[in-house]
Amino acid sequence: MILNALSITMIFIGALSVLLTIWGGVSSFILYRKWRRPSTPEEKTSLEDRSYLVLLIMVIVLVIRLINWPLFYVTLQSFISDIEGAMCIFGVTQVKVSLTRFLEFLKPITFFLIGGWFILHILDRATKTSPLMGRKLLVLSFISLLVLMDAIGDILLMIGIVPESLVSCCTTITDISNRPTRTTPLSIFGPEYARPLRGLFFITHLALIGMIGLALKSRIFRRPVLGLLFLFSLLNALLFLLSQIEVFAPAMMHLPFHHCLYCLWQYVPDSIAMYLFFILGTFSVGWGFTTDLFGKIGEASSLLPNYVGKIYWAAFFFLSASFILLVIHLLLD
Amino acid sequence: MPINKRQIILLIIFVIISLVLGCQGERKPIESRCDYDGVKIEPLYAVYFTLQDGAEKKFCSMACASLSFPELKSRIKEVVVVDERSGTKVNASQALFVESEMVTVPHVKNRIHVFSKEEDALKHIQKFKGRWVENPFH
Repeated sequence: MILNALSITMIFIGALSVLLTIWGGVSSFILYRKWRRPSTPEEKTSLEDRSYLVLLIMVIVLVIRLINWPLFYVTLQSFISDIEGAMCIFGVTQVKVSLTRFLEFLKPITFFLIGGWFILHILDRATKTSPLMGRKLLVLSFISLLVLMDAIGDILLMIGIVPESLVSCCTTITDISNRPTRTTPLSIFGPEYARPLRGLFFITHLALIGMIGLALKSRIFRRPVLGLLFLFSLLNALLFLLSQIEVFAPAMMHLPFHHCLYCLWQYVPDSIAMYLFFILGTFSVGWGFTTDLFGKIGEASSLLPNYVGKIYWAAFFFLSASFILLVIHLLLD
Repeated sequence: MPINKRQIILLIIFVIISLVLGCQGERKPIESRCDYDGVKIEPLYAVYFTLQDGAEKKFCSMACASLSFPELKSRIKEVVVVDERSGTKVNASQALFVESEMVTVPHVKNRIHVFSKEEDALKHIQKFKGRWVENPFH
């Protein structure tokens, strides 16, 4: 185990999350079941009081889990000097490959679900009758499971990464000629795939921003439209990842043959802001859809268009900011 | 819904900050960094390509140089490597290459070693279970 302030923080946060999530997850599931049953006004008041306590504590836990995602990478970055052969985060991920890969996959999903849940929570709090309470509790008990896995994974990883481990870093893996991020566009566009890939990303990204703008202007917030936009944003995210690895990251790093995104964050630190904006923008499109999916009930239905509008404004802002940052970098190169 | 003025101001501030940061980042000196993966170069294991236009490309290891070689082959005028024993620069065509169990640059697990004298290479082969390999840059 590598002991530093960040790894200790990760373990502390992990342990705290495990304890509170077990309690909060089980409580929210029990409360959800009770919430569905008919009850007397006294029972209802008692149930509401308990629910608010559970929600209050779980809100704190979930905020910590939101911060945990970037903290995870900052902690891995802090381990680089202790791992022999690691020159960026990629090297650190090679110490416990399966567990790190699992956590890297789980964290964005958890982040997305927590963000979506928070929006539902805010929407519900804006109502007088709390029509979303039951759904909120049910979704919360499901999120608790993911948070539990995530927190246990964090603790195991922090304990499992031992100093002086010998690893190979990104150069030997991300730059090999048969990497999937190269062979996929190569099979579609041919050997000169960089230019069409870059063009395709620009088209889809601008189209996504344009469609969000159009939805905002005409206030079309119907579920199929929101769902299609979410799917389109996922496609755009896939193209973003592919074009970043193959085209933009090497250009921004001034290392034309190197395709490691962790190295990009290291050599061009402001690219982290670009990634942050992109993630928040893409997730906001998804949150618009999930809010409509779970929030269309009772009193909340009338508030929904206003909330989806706000979420879409956030998506528009973040995706535009990410695009502007990318263009600035490309122009500087 | 009208555009919030605060959002526009925030966007402009972010653009300005990133522009400044970006400019600073672009101007950072990278003289001693590998032209393949950006790692700081340990001079004893460096490889240098002199291109036909006079430009020089430098690499942290034989591994990084070998990965770059196919892309730059047509533009390369001369390849210079460093003798591990003495630290002197040698033309790759006159150097001896040995692959052994010993790793010199850990992040790429480089096992190819460069020597200018045969006796040094033979000693290394015996000590680290090595074998002769061809010049990767011809």
